Amino acid sequence: MERDPKIVAFLCNWCSYAGADLAGIGRIQYPPNIRVVRIPCTGRINPLFIISALRHGADGVLTSG
Amino acid sequence: MQAIAAQVKEAAKKLLEDKKVDLVVGFAEGSLPLRGTPLFARTPEEADQLTWNRGCENNLANFLRKREGKVAVVAKGCDVRSIVALTKENQIDRDNLYIIGVPCDGMIDRKKIGKLLGGKEVLAVEDQGDTIVLKGNGFSETAKVADLLHNSCIDCRYGNPVVYDALIGELMPEKAEEDFAEIKEFEAKTTAERRAFLAEEFSKCIRCYACRNACPMCYCTECFVDCSQPEWIGKSAADVQDNILFQAVRVFHGAGRCADCGACERACPMGINLRLLTRKLVKDVKVLFNAEAGVSMDDKAALATFTADDPEPFLVKE
Amino acid sequence: MITKPDKVGAVLVVGAGIAGIQASLDLAESGYYVYLVEKSPAIGGTMPMLDKTFPTNDCSMCILSPKLVECGRHLNVETITNSEVADIQGEPGNFKVTINTKARLVDPDKCTGCGSCAEECPVKVDDDFNQGLDKRKAIYKQYAQAYPNAYAIDATRCLKVKKPKACGKCLEVCQANAIDHQMQDTTLEVQVGSVILCPGFEKYDVSQLWYYGYGKLPNVLTSLEFERILSASGPFGGHLQRPSDGKEPKKIAWLQCVGSRNCRNEHGYCSSVCCMYAIKEAVIAKEHTKYPLDTAIFFMDMRTYGKDFEKYYDRAREESGVRFIRSRVFEVTDTFDGTGNCQIRYSNEDGTITTEDFDMVVLSLGLEPASGMVELAGKLGLELNKFNFCESPSLTGVGTSKPGIFVAGAFSGPRDIPETVMQASAAASDSAADLADVRGTLTKAKEYPAEKDVSGEIIRTGVVVCHCGINIGSVVNVPEVVAYAKTLPGVVFADEKLYACSQDTSAQIKDAIQEHGLNRVVVASCSPRTHEPMFQETLKEAGLNANLFEMTNIRDQCSWVHMKEPEKATAKAKDLVKMAVYKSALLEPIDGVTLDMNHDALVIGGGVSGLTAADNLSKQGYQVYLVEKSAELGGIANRLRFGMKGEDLPVYISELVAKVNADPNIKVYTGVEITDVQGFVGNFETTLSSGEVIPHGVTMIATGAQEYKPTEYLYGQNENVMTLLELESLLADKDSKVTGAKNVVFVQCVGSRDAERPYCSRICCTKSVKQALKVKELNPNANVFVLYRDIRTYGFFEEMYREARNKGVIFIRYTADNKPVVKAGADGVQVTVTDHVLGIPVEINADIVGLAAAIVADKDTNGKLSQFYKVPLNQEGFFLEAHMKLRPVDFGTDGVFMCGLAHGPKNLEENISQAKAAVGRACTVLAKESISVEGKSAFVNERKCAGCGDCEAVCPAKAVQVDATKKVAVVNEALCKGCGACASTCRCGAINVKGCTNQQLIAMIKAL
Repeated sequence: MERDPKIVAFLCNWCSYAGADLAGIGRIQYPPNIRVVRIPCTGRINPLFIISALRHGADGVLTSG
Repeated sequence: MQAIAAQVKEAAKKLLEDKKVDLVVGFAEGSLPLRGTPLFARTPEEADQLTWNRGCENNLANFLRKREGKVAVVAKGCDVRSIVALTKENQIDRDNLYIIGVPCDGMIDRKKIGKLLGGKEVLAVEDQGDTIVLKGNGFSETAKVADLLHNSCIDCRYGNPVVYDALIGELMPEKAEEDFAEIKEFEAKTTAERRAFLAEEFSKCIRCYACRNACPMCYCTECFVDCSQPEWIGKSAADVQDNILFQAVRVFHGAGRCADCGACERACPMGINLRLLTRKLVKDVKVLFNAEAGVSMDDKAALATFTADDPEPFLVKE
Repeated sequence: MITKPDKVGAVLVVGAGIAGIQASLDLAESGYYVYLVEKSPAIGGTMPMLDKTFPTNDCSMCILSPKLVECGRHLNVETITNSEVADIQGEPGNFKVTINTKARLVDPDKCTGCGSCAEECPVKVDDDFNQGLDKRKAIYKQYAQAYPNAYAIDATRCLKVKKPKACGKCLEVCQANAIDHQMQDTTLEVQVGSVILCPGFEKYDVSQLWYYGYGKLPNVLTSLEFERILSASGPFGGHLQRPSDGKEPKKIAWLQCVGSRNCRNEHGYCSSVCCMYAIKEAVIAKEHTKYPLDTAIFFMDMRTYGKDFEKYYDRAREESGVRFIRSRVFEVTDTFDGTGNCQIRYSNEDGTITTEDFDMVVLSLGLEPASGMVELAGKLGLELNKFNFCESPSLTGVGTSKPGIFVAGAFSGPRDIPETVMQASAAASDSAADLADVRGTLTKAKEYPAEKDVSGEIIRTGVVVCHCGINIGSVVNVPEVVAYAKTLPGVVFADEKLYACSQDTSAQIKDAIQEHGLNRVVVASCSPRTHEPMFQETLKEAGLNANLFEMTNIRDQCSWVHMKEPEKATAKAKDLVKMAVYKSALLEPIDGVTLDMNHDALVIGGGVSGLTAADNLSKQGYQVYLVEKSAELGGIANRLRFGMKGEDLPVYISELVAKVNADPNIKVYTGVEITDVQGFVGNFETTLSSGEVIPHGVTMIATGAQEYKPTEYLYGQNENVMTLLELESLLADKDSKVTGAKNVVFVQCVGSRDAERPYCSRICCTKSVKQALKVKELNPNANVFVLYRDIRTYGFFEEMYREARNKGVIFIRYTADNKPVVKAGADGVQVTVTDHVLGIPVEINADIVGLAAAIVADKDTNGKLSQFYKVPLNQEGFFLEAHMKLRPVDFGTDGVFMCGLAHGPKNLEENISQAKAAVGRACTVLAKESISVEGKSAFVNERKCAGCGDCEAVCPAKAVQVDATKKVAVVNEALCKGCGACASTCRCGAINVKGCTNQQLIAMIKAL
């Protein structure tokens, strides 16, 4: 499990999500075990989302904004 | 104590007689010694039952939310902190609340008496100030009050009501800063140790939600744990993880609002060490945001307000 | 009989930097059609090249890109790239514009921006955008986030352009058929009512100054090169290194005024922005390194005169440890030890000479006017100043010598981003003022078929998976994803497309919606940030609510970043599609919200800013209520006698006051204050102290500021000591005190730049220099001394500083810890100051001491208004704008704007410009028939709400309030921005966000 952790990322549409797009435009390669949830603002992240993600099998949660 | 009880009674009666309030919420003697029970007095006669002793541990703020009419409350330090917090959250209309503040240097923990007496039943007590005489069938033992107080009272720095309309008794000298020794000890444990400890504690949880009912700040119409759309966490007590998450989120919801009155822990029938979690948050809020719940009418909600001078040591600069 | 040609409701904007973008958006939102002409293949200008921006250290691209997208997509902004304006004929209200377009050789309508062509292109070219620090291809996109999101061919370098039979590799890979090497240059003519010129600036050509070693020493860089090095999207991915050898620098020096304040090469002006950007670069560079980085800025005067700039300077010095060396640099040479390091030889203030070695030297290049404009200006007869910057007529802010043609940004003088943005909005306002009659005549609006009611229908989801040419399909197994999608609950249709964004796919999606009765659509392709609105458009055209659409990004965030792991990328794409499908099942139609609005404006404050705003709003055709606290209009400008260019201000102000008083559209209230405010944008109700209630749609705060009453330097105790405003009237009246004075002393920074007021009052240096010259003019024999800390005569005011020195005004620098001492003497006052060159105290028997007293906010008035309109103040009591860089006259609260000294210290010309800017912004609100919002707002479940008010506390838009009687939160949809901070704060789960509900997000999480 530690070798291939499942990571859920909550990314703000205006900054981090755009940053993830930019990583793509720059063809920056990173491991494919991240699943992105786009949100309208980092302020949208209810702590319960993080708990839910972990409860539903995510090994890590990335919040960024 | 008796003098204070008499003054409380007198003040309450006067308020009711003068029709300044419709209701006085205070304490009456319970069926057993040191088991003060909440009393709702609507007439001067009913107010005659009011008392004050070392068994008035309940947080009466719990009974004040969204009440009609004018209400007076007999409130010690922790009750007032919760009242302040609830007022700021629109749950109490301060204009309709009359606070009879009573400085409090601690309430007695009956469990500690039980331990001291090896389970012998106390039938009467005699309060002698710093000491208390515990009497039962065929015994009479004098104990130091300080040895019998609730842990939450020992840790409490706000025995003096921070807000009141009338004060009964005398304000006490300020206590030194808390050291949060047991929290620091808990924090010093490894993740695995903490996880094991929590799993052990919360395997006891039966999801009776007594903690939630006792807490003056747990007033949501629908608690997140009861929500079905979405279902945030499982509802069965069989899953220790869900039990931990329930309590973790409940405690988190109290961050910056919890006055550390200890009501949750006293209410827990399974003896779970809940104050370890609530106090961890109390400490964190103090350290991270330099805030304490319910100590001032002017403070803004710690987690809902940004100020430039938040210490915020969690911001790491690379 | 000669008939005047009809007015045209369109505006030409020349130059698509931040000024052009802002002006275009303001105009398009105010009811005018905009032609935005840009020389390069993409809009954006200089801002995309910058790494961070001062004083907030925001990422430049991050704050700009939403504007790029908005401008690029705007129905009423026609962006014409690769083009230049050849000629403008006609008169205000009706100009004919000739635009020459260079062939792009790529059709931007067909190009999807996928980039396959550039990967194949064999020709490498120095990348101008990265200042030549790395290479791009001959077919290229200017920068990653560029709009149009389309490639262009560098015709001078393309092999196929040179030899039609050569190469052609791009043609082979372009599956969109967008490339056409035979494309021809074209000419276009358009009719407009007015013109805004904002061509920006060019960087100074440093090769003229050999002694800085640029071009010779590999580690001497320009400031713009350094920006690119710092930038994460730059040539080194944001790693701080020397381009010459890749070494991480341990010591970096910045040299100020390179090509500025230098008469010898006709660059006598101050470039205004370099001090701040050098500090920013030093601070950011320090943040970039894991090791201690030594940074030193070599400067003459530190000109941190803008809002919050002084604090930034203080922090850089005291917290970040940036060294500031007041000096004159002689030359930069090699250290000749094989390290490639540079040696700076400089003179200290006391005349001693020092040398110091650095790993890297950054030259803070000055700003030059756009060279391409000289020709056009000549053709149009526009007046330029001696440096070829556009000369704006006095007190117009953004005017030019030609009526109907306006200027914004650095073309009329070096300026930073917020001032540029302000001017852009001001120019938008001025250019629209004469076109009010034809507002809305040329703007377009789209019509859609009636929306289908899908409530109660079972979920029928259609999924489209895009190959994006080979961009997705070469990594992700698209057919496999489509097959998988078909197995997901609710999915009744799934298909793959070569380009989901092409015209024909759009038609196919519409057909599928009809044919399969789809009521949810999921597209898996590129970024929703760029393409979601386009697909939503397709849904609307097919009669579905736009919010029944969900998009997931399997290109930028999947195939492009997992190129070597196709199987895992495919698995990820499946997961992403599954998440989107699960969410889409819970999507519900969201209806836009429309509210009535009042189209009147309330202006608070009757100083020059308020008067200008009122006058301008009236010109736009809106009813204005102007409220002034004191008995008369004019504000603090009533105490001014001459402007910075020598204008006769009493005449100017009395004319302005008379004009406003006579204007039937403006109702003036004097001697009243505001006592209560209710409502929100479009629906304000403001109560005056007279009891009158004014309903209005927008609010303009122009409360001005006051002159600090000094407690120091014997002010108020000795009649020879006075403030500059007091001295101004003596000068204007040619008082004998002045004409008979032997010695006149000016003391700078009185009440500014100290612990209590840690800001620069911006205008005092220039005002003092102006007055010093006036003293010399009236009394040539008088000795005039200016005691200063830094002389901050920014922009063209530097010329005045030089003139003063030439005319014998003596400038003596003092330090904050050794301030001048003023004592009463037998004859006037005795001023003692320690001379910075000699290091010994100098005594002056002054007849007049003029104190450059700070500009201070009216904290009481501002404090009240701050509460009434829910807008913030900064620590000094000035109003705090929504964003220091890009929203300089707006507030987070919609419909409230500000201008003038209420925002912070600035001169009259700048206040006028800002007042117009506030009008420009207000017009974007007022031009709307009603308030309509998308509707992706928060909503409250009243049953669950406990009314605790935490949502109210966290809402940045002030859109939620707890209803006092019902004790539940109420959302004002007109104000809600849908950020969801409320929903994540709510313990009870009572508040949620449409289009992004707790249920929808948890469904996505559970899909995993």
